[in-house]
This record gives sequence, structure tokens and C-alpha cells, in this order.
Amino acid sequence: MRLRSQPAERIDRNHPITFTYAGEEHTGFAGDTIGSALYAAGRRVFSRSFKYHRPRGLLCCSGHCPNCMMTVDGVPNVRVCVEPLRPDVDVRDQNVRGSADRDLLGVVDKIGGPFTPVGFYYRTMIRPRRAWPLYEKVLRNLAGLGRVDEKANGHGPYVTVHRRVDVLVIGGGPAGRAAAEAAEGKVLLVDDRAAYDASYEVLSPATALAIYEGGLVPVAAGNTLHRIRAGRIVVATGALEQPLLFPGNDLVGVMLPDAVRRMVDEWALQPGERAVLVGEAAVDLKLQLARAGVEIVAVSLRPESLSAHGRRGRLASIDLDGERIDCDLLVVSGGLQPAYSLLAQAGARIDYEPRRGIFVPTELPAGVEVVGAAAGDIEQVPAPAVLDGRGDKCFVCICEDVTTKDVKRALREGFDSIELAKRYTTVTMGPCQGKLCQLASTRLLAHETDTDESAIGTTTARPPWRPIELGLLAGPHHEPAKLTPLHQRHEALGAEVIWTGAWRRAFHYGDPAAEVRAVHESLGVIDVSTLGKVIVEGPGAAELLDRLYPNRFSDLKTGRIRYGVLTSDGGRIMDDGTVARLDDELFYVTTTSTGSEGVVEWFEWWNAIWGYDVEIVNVTGALAAMNLAGPLAREALAPLTDAPLDNESFRYLDAKEIAVAGVPCLALRIGFVGELGYELHCPATDAGSLWDALVTAGATPFGLEAQRVLRLEKGHVIVGQDTDSESNLLSARMGWTIKDDKPDYVGKPAVPHLEVREKLVGFTSDVLPPEGAQIVRDGRIAGRVTSSRLSERVGGAIGLAWVDPDCAEEGSVISIRVDGTLRPATVTLAPFYDPEGALLRS
Amino acid sequence: MKDIFRVRRMWRPRAELKDRYDVVIIGGGSHGLATAYYLAKNHGITNVAVLEQSYIGSGASGRNTTIIRSNYRTPEGAEFYKRSVELYERLSGELDFNLMFSQHGHLTLAHTDSSLRVMQERAEVNQILGIDSRVVHPEEIGRLCPQIDLSDKPTWPIMGALYHAPGGIIRHDAVVWGFARGADRAGIELHQNTAVTAIETDAGHVTAVQTNRGRVEADVFISATAGWSTLTTGMAGVRLPITTHILQAFVTEPVKPFLDVIIVSAQMHVYVSQTDRGEFLIGAEIEPYTTYKSIGTFSFLEICSRHVLELFPQLERLKVLRTWTGLCDLSPDYSPILGRTELDNFHLSAGWGTYGFKAAPIVGTTLAELVSTGKTPALIAPFALERFHTDTLVSELAAAAVSH
Repeated sequence: MRLRSQPAERIDRNHPITFTYAGEEHTGFAGDTIGSALYAAGRRVFSRSFKYHRPRGLLCCSGHCPNCMMTVDGVPNVRVCVEPLRPDVDVRDQNVRGSADRDLLGVVDKIGGPFTPVGFYYRTMIRPRRAWPLYEKVLRNLAGLGRVDEKANGHGPYVTVHRRVDVLVIGGGPAGRAAAEAAEGKVLLVDDRAAYDASYEVLSPATALAIYEGGLVPVAAGNTLHRIRAGRIVVATGALEQPLLFPGNDLVGVMLPDAVRRMVDEWALQPGERAVLVGEAAVDLKLQLARAGVEIVAVSLRPESLSAHGRRGRLASIDLDGERIDCDLLVVSGGLQPAYSLLAQAGARIDYEPRRGIFVPTELPAGVEVVGAAAGDIEQVPAPAVLDGRGDKCFVCICEDVTTKDVKRALREGFDSIELAKRYTTVTMGPCQGKLCQLASTRLLAHETDTDESAIGTTTARPPWRPIELGLLAGPHHEPAKLTPLHQRHEALGAEVIWTGAWRRAFHYGDPAAEVRAVHESLGVIDVSTLGKVIVEGPGAAELLDRLYPNRFSDLKTGRIRYGVLTSDGGRIMDDGTVARLDDELFYVTTTSTGSEGVVEWFEWWNAIWGYDVEIVNVTGALAAMNLAGPLAREALAPLTDAPLDNESFRYLDAKEIAVAGVPCLALRIGFVGELGYELHCPATDAGSLWDALVTAGATPFGLEAQRVLRLEKGHVIVGQDTDSESNLLSARMGWTIKDDKPDYVGKPAVPHLEVREKLVGFTSDVLPPEGAQIVRDGRIAGRVTSSRLSERVGGAIGLAWVDPDCAEEGSVISIRVDGTLRPATVTLAPFYDPEGALLRS
Repeated sequence: MKDIFRVRRMWRPRAELKDRYDVVIIGGGSHGLATAYYLAKNHGITNVAVLEQSYIGSGASGRNTTIIRSNYRTPEGAEFYKRSVELYERLSGELDFNLMFSQHGHLTLAHTDSSLRVMQERAEVNQILGIDSRVVHPEEIGRLCPQIDLSDKPTWPIMGALYHAPGGIIRHDAVVWGFARGADRAGIELHQNTAVTAIETDAGHVTAVQTNRGRVEADVFISATAGWSTLTTGMAGVRLPITTHILQAFVTEPVKPFLDVIIVSAQMHVYVSQTDRGEFLIGAEIEPYTTYKSIGTFSFLEICSRHVLELFPQLERLKVLRTWTGLCDLSPDYSPILGRTELDNFHLSAGWGTYGFKAAPIVGTTLAELVSTGKTPALIAPFALERFHTDTLVSELAAAAVSH
């Protein structure tokens, strides 16, 4: 049923659109919302309420209230009053047993009241305790509105756009348009209604969600999220029509003036047959409604009493100042309230102005202005807090089905501030987030406690302005990963790739045990490009490093390498790596794979205090690195380089710049994996050809897992795995790196106070304990296993563990809990493999 | 049950502030109110005032994401929280107030082998202490939470999880109100809108606090002000190694039951549960900068939403309803600071970071014992402020140790 053509109607009667509601086919027009099309098709009950399952119909037609929430194409909680009608859209009721018209749970409204007062769930279902899960299951199933769309895939067609403007105007009413006209520079106006032509850019339909620090305003426009940075922000969000509190104020047929106006003007709908108009804005609609064929049976600007009565949830009559009037439409206006939420969220103060009965924003954040009705540019007489009348329930909050009785009870129980009353009754916590209930609840509390509204205040406004989809906030999923220059080669070799920190690394290439064997018996190569690589250069470089590390580097000879552990000011182990001196004033420092950024920051932070003439450059990404290791390493490398490799010319812990297969390399002779090895650092762009040359020379690629076994056989620690934020060098048995005769270094003041409450030792065992297994002594926890592996070479399970200091002796027997059983293990202090390091030096 | 038909006050209207009490508790959150409650219940000490600058539960107690668990990494921490969970389990009955503690189980996801190793360690520690905690693999995760994306499509596929069956969620405001009612009914005075403005000390001893409603003396003073701890104790000249940061969270619109267990991903800094009201309650990690300004950030909302969808892509059209921030008082070792200070009658509950709410009942019990007996209970001895002088930190931080 439509009215004859309206002058400003938005429907296009030449373009019918077919859709389904509850499985039945209906037709609307282009320009309809789903809500208007359903109304035209005769639908009056659009949903059932949250708690009492009362029938609810169109109320605000602005997308604020919860009354028209339906499930649309599987998406729950869609406000159909503002959702544009699309062809073949599938619309369904939600939160009903049966249908919106006949909902079995409507029985809650009939009998539930006395048994389910506000907060009833805090006072019931307490005993017996074991019954709570059953009660809870019932409650959980009753709560909630729509259902999650199980078919959604999280990758909807969302787009994020970044914008920068001089002036952003939020709201396209007269005040907003005037502000945009007057503004200079790049001006953008955001409006949630239809687009229009203007001398400035208009983004619509679009909604500003919040104002964040730095002038950041996220704006939702369909499936696009605009992140707008504005130099000046003008808030022109207008005002929100407020409902009135009277018994039966939620009945189907009770509407706000703007809703009625939109129904007639935009969709050519007749909002009722017999109407009563209450409140100034409602009475103003008199002529317009009459033209739409609605019989106006009564009007009242300020009634003394009002109550509405329904028949099967729909408005049938009202009592207005003692007179019973039959009607099917009651247009009510509780006046306007500035839409201040965006401002309050951004930090503005909100003050109550009693003369007009509104909250107005003051003390605006810098760069933010407010104009028009949002600023309080409204003339009205405050509506009464609550209209007396007898009959049905009187709702303060229709989202959460909170009645005036609930609020009064909460007050009597002691929940006497707005915030406590909110949390107890849940008023303002529903889908409208207080748009239609904030003012009403403040007024009611003031009325009931005999104070004024400014003493009551408001609950804190929180972003977003309107509920917003997770998918739109998430935008396209881009999660960065760090890949080494050799990544494609690992993939081509079929490597299993895993995350280590931000890096993607080759875990193994199919058979980690064979990879371990290859390193021990012949030759392996591993991509260690993830190692942090830092150049420290300048006249003060040696002294800087001496002060950063407990170890000493000033006496390190050019071309030599020394191990270094970084400690915090508290003497705790932070990171480790090697330091190679390449020249008098030039050092090449490596760090752990995850530590590089932190270490560079740490270096720079300290040097900002000390002020050495030093350059610190993070070259982690610029250089690749690969470790060629195994008894055949020298033989394999020799044909690829002119540099002499014999043990006198290129000793263990030498660093030399050599060319390998034509690639300029910094070769470090170190032995993390326990065999003769050369760690070759080269420009990232050359990594592929160097790798290929090494593989062609017979090196078996090995991955992280093999490296973990090999380093464990040597008893080498992994910082962050074998140590934690409390480990110190003494307890980790690395006291030998402390050169305490130095005048100063980070952590030195802590060293005399370091206590050894536990020690890091090696152990061997018949069974393999998991990493993380606990050491138990006299029934108490007395240590933990940090690393463990089966080693073919050692012949059994080996590992590292923290133990009581008195157990940290060669041959001590400890008990490790494995699968709930205590298993003996034997403490070993020396490396399990090649304890003398003869192979490294060979 | 009878309380649903008759209206009974939860607590008396605010009384005049007396000049002197036996104990003054600064902070009307879950810790302050629990301490008050147990002072009365366990020790018969009722001449107590709880001073709250705003309304009760207005700080971290009413802003946290309500997760209760005990699967901590250090034996000290795990033992402590185990006792807390045990107290929580009985608390609804004891307070005769339904706190809606729902032990649906708690899954901490591992997306890397190094986090799996940390989970294994936590499980081992927990099992020895009698805490139900174990490492589960993807098949079992799928049984416990059929909705979660276990495929290799997410950026960080799920490799395993630490499963803690007793972990659950609770109605946080109810905890505050239940303790408040219990304390009030024992005769303890609750003073809302009463801000402490100065603390008077004399020779290593607190003599009185000044408030916006007058001066109050007491034998013992307790500070339980979470994010404001350094400011509160600073008034008494007690310096704490604590920084205050904001933590953000949000809820979605309510939907029908979808998720029963609690899902936590440290890798993605996100935790997800669904409340009994049907809202998804989602939180993140603390912001790295220090501030008292409770204004949230949009990047939090964006990143957190993205991470939720990595776990539950079905939620893409679910709508965020409300975001908020809370203050967190972070200690250097991520363990609390609990018990005595250098002032002999000024005790403290602080340094809770993001996990103070879980500890409310055990904090109340132990602080009440400290007040009553004058001795620090063994359970909280490891968390003494003194540890920063003796260098005996309790590293919960390491539970978040990253990979090599």
C-alpha cells in the first residue's frame, strides 16, 4: 500500500525489486529500504525485544533503535529501516521461536515480569553450584539477537582508503553545509544520507565513527573505510529525537516524528489510519499526515498523563490526560538532544542545560568545532522525565528492555549513580549505545533521586558512533613477513617453512636427521641471513662496545672474532652474537635473529648518552649470510676462492674479506654447529649465486631443526629459549665473558649483587624429556629443561636445564618429570660433542 | 531467590566519614573491597573504611575482560592464582550473589614452535601444582572449539594450544558488588566519591589520609588503586617500579551462542570470549606508551579486528558496539607487588598489569591476613616490594619469550 506520488519521494515506481522475507517473495521499489518495502507489504511487527520478546515495529527509521533488526543474507542484526533494498535479498526474523508475529518466547512478557526483575540473575541460580552450567546454557540461548553467519569467510570486499583534508565537516544538514561552504582549502563533507551537488566534496552515504587524536576520523562508506586526517574538524551531527517515557511506549505503532516524516516523504507510506500526536515536533506533522490520509484524532503539546495499550503487541488505544482514544499511530516527541557523542569521545566535556533540557558539549578538543543543533542550537521546553499513567511496561531503554520500574528498583538497591545504574540495569549498553536512552535515563534518575541532571551526568561516550563491522575495521589482511633472499630456493627444495619471530625460515628439507649427519660427516649449508648484522664504525667504536658488553673488544685484533653477550643494566642476559674487528675503527656485530632491531636501538640509546663518535648501521636486510659447515668445508671452499684457507692463514675465529664464487664475502670462521665452518656474509643480491655455488660444491642444505640439534650437541645456548628475562651470566655459566676490570659497562653495577640461585647445565638421559619439562626434587619444582633433543652422535637424549646450584656438578643426578613420571638424568658440564673444540680448530 | 520479590539495599547509603578507623583501604575496586570483606569475615575486623574516588568498580575492576585462570608460568604465580580460582569457584555461594563464573575452558594458542615450548613448560609447572593444564594439538582444539580456523589459510596457522579446563569468565561488576555487599553487611563503611588527596607520614609510619571530605586516621592503610598506584603511594613518599599504560577492549553486538571457550593468542595479542549476554568480548595487549589518558586508538580496533578474523573469519559482519580503555599498572617482571612497603603500616596491592582481576579473592584473603597477624603470608612473600632491592624478581615476562 503506497500513497499517491509524493513530491520528494525517493522510490522509483518504475523499478520494482523482488526480495524474500521469511521465505516469501515480496516486491518493493528502487529507493526503498528493506524496512520501507516490508512496511509497504503490510509488515508491522519487525522484531521481538531482547528480554521480554515483545513485538516491536518501526520507531526511528534512522538506524538508531534496535526495533527493525533482522538477518539479511545471513548477516545478523541489520537495521532494515536504513538498509537499501537490493534485488533477491533474503530477509529473515531473528531471536524468535516461530516468527516475529507469533513468537513462543513472548510468554516471558506475560509471566516473566515478577520473576525476572532487574538483576534477577544475580540473585538466583546460585545453588547448587553444579547446576549453574545448565542454567547458564538456557540463559545463553535466550540472550543474543541474530546468529553468526557461518558462511562468511573474513575476506569480504573491504577497502581501506587514506585521506588528508584541510577541513572535514561531519553532517550535511544546514549547519554542516554552511560550514563547508565557508571553509577554505580542501574541504570534505561526510553525510549519512543521500549525496548532493556542492562546491566541495561530499562523501555519502557515509558515517564518521569517531574522532581520534591527531585529527583522525574513520569514516565508513559501504565496504570502504576512509581513514581521514583533517586539520580542522567541524561536527555538525545535528540532534537526536528523543522518545517519551510512558507505559506502553514500545508498542508497535508508537513512532518518532522523523520516522513518520520519512515514511511519508521518502517512501510514500501511510504510517497509520488514526493518529495521536504528542509533543511539539509531533504536532508539527499534523498537516502533512492529514494530507497522507491519516485521521488525526488527538493532539497534545504537553500531556499530564499518557499510557498506550496494545492488542497483541500493536497499539490499539491510549489514555491521554484521562481520555481513552482508539488509535493505531502515536507519534511522540520527547524533544531533541544534541548528537554530541563524537565530541565526548574525543574528550569534550558534556554539561546539562536545564532550561532546554539538553546536554551540550563544551571544552572541545583542539582542532574540533561544533555547529548547529549538535552545538545545542535548539529551542525547546524540556519534556517531562516520565509521564504517569497506568498500564503496560514503561521502557527507558528499548534495546535492553529496561523499564522505569527496573531503574527505580536499582536506585533503591543502592545503584544510585548513572554508571552503577548502567552496569546493573544495562541501560544504554544495547545496540543504540544511549542514542535514545541516555537522556531519558539521566532525567529519570534525577527525577527519582530528587537531584538535577547535571549532578547525575552521563555515562562515558565511547567509539564507535554506530556499530561497525569487524571486517570493515580489519580491512584487507596484510600481515608482513620477513623473507631471506634465499627464500625461493628453500621453497623449491621443498622446505617446511615456519615462523621464527617476524621471519619465515626453512625448518627442514624433509629429513632433519640426515641433515645433521651431512654436517657431521661431510658438508652442510644453512641460510642464516636472519642473523642481526650491525656495523659499528668510528673512532669510539671499540670503547663503545667495551661499555655495551661485559666482554672486552678494545684488545681484539683486526681480523679476529670474539663472542659477546649483552646484558641489561640489571645484569640480565639480553642477546648474544659475535663481534668481528675488521679495522681499527670498524666492527661487524651479529645478533640473534629476533634481536637485531632491539640491539640496534639499545646501542643507539646508550650512545645518545655517551656520545661516542660512532656510526651504528643495521645491515641485517642488506646482507645475506650462510654457514658452510662440516669436515669437508675447507676442501669444498678452496676451488671457489683464491684466498688461502689453510689453518695458519685462516684460523678459527678469523674474519676475512674474501671472494667466493666471484661473490665478495666477509667470511667468519666460527662454529655454532660444532664442525669446521665458515659463515659467509655477502650482499643480499648475490646470495642466490653464492648458495648455488656451495650446493654445487656438495653442501647439503640443512634447516633450523638440524641446527638446533647440532648447537645443542655443543651446549651452545639460544638466548630467549635457554635463558629468560631473569638469567644472568654467572647462573648461565658464562661468567668468563665478564671482564670486570673494565671501568664501566652496562650491567657492571649489578654484577657484585648477582646471585646464582640456579644454574644452566647440560644433561643426558635415557628418555627424551619435552622442552619445558620440570626438574623435581623432594616433591618441589627445582628447575626446568629448556632444550632437549635425541642425538645420534652422542647416543641418547641430551639437553640443557636450569638446576639447583648444588646439583650443577658433573655427574649429579637430577629427576625430570616426563609424562607424569620422574626420570633420572645426569648432569654434564662440558659440551656433549667435541668438548675440546678440536674439530672447530682443525 | 527471595531477594527477587523484595527489594533490599546492597549497601547502606554513604555515612559521614569518621575521624578514625582501624583500617583505611584506598580504592573501591575488586582488591580493596575483597580485602575489606575478608578483614571482616576471616578476622572480625570491621572498623574499616573503603575510600573510592569515583563509584565502586569504576577502574580496572569494571574494565577488564573478566577472564579467570591459573595456568601461569612460574611456580609462585601458578600456586597463587590456583588459590584464587579455588576461592572464585566458591564465591557465588559464599556471597549469596551469582557472579556467573562460567568455567568453559581456556585455550592459549601457539602459532610457533617456540610458543608451543613455552606452553609445554607452563603445562608441566601447572600439573605438578595440581592445576588442570595441558598442551593440546589441533585435532583436539577442533573438538573444543569447532568454529576456529585450523586451516593453513591464516597468517599464523595454529600449531597447538595450552588447554586449561577450569579457566573461565565471570561477571566482573558482580564480583565488585558481591564483595561490597558482603563488606557492608559486616559493618564496613563504603565511601564512594571520596578521593584521597594527601597522605601524612611520620617516622616511617602513615598517620592519616586527607580526602575531599576530611582527614581520616587509622592504624593500618592499604593502597589498592591499580593504575593510580604510583600516584597514591607517591603521596606517602613510597616509590614503585611501576609504569601505567592503557589497555583497550571492545564488545560486539549480541548474537546467539557461537563460542563457549575462551581463546587467547599471544602471537596476535588478542583474546576472545562470548559473554552470557551474547556479546563478543575482545581485548588486546597494553599500549607500549605510558599515559593516564583513557582515549583509545583506532589502530587498536583495526589490528584487533583483523586478528579476530584470522581466528574466526565467520565474524566479519559482526558489529563492534563499544570500545573502552583501562589503566594497567605494569611491574618490571610482570608479577604483582603485594604486601608491605617501607612504611610499617602501609600495605599495597599493585603492579598487576593486565591480570589483577583474576587475583581479587586471594589478594583480599592474604592482605587481610597480613593486617590481622602482622605477618606476610608465605603465598605472597615472593611478590614483596622488597624484591626489587634484593633482586629476586619473579619472571612471568618470560612466559612471553619470543623465538630465536
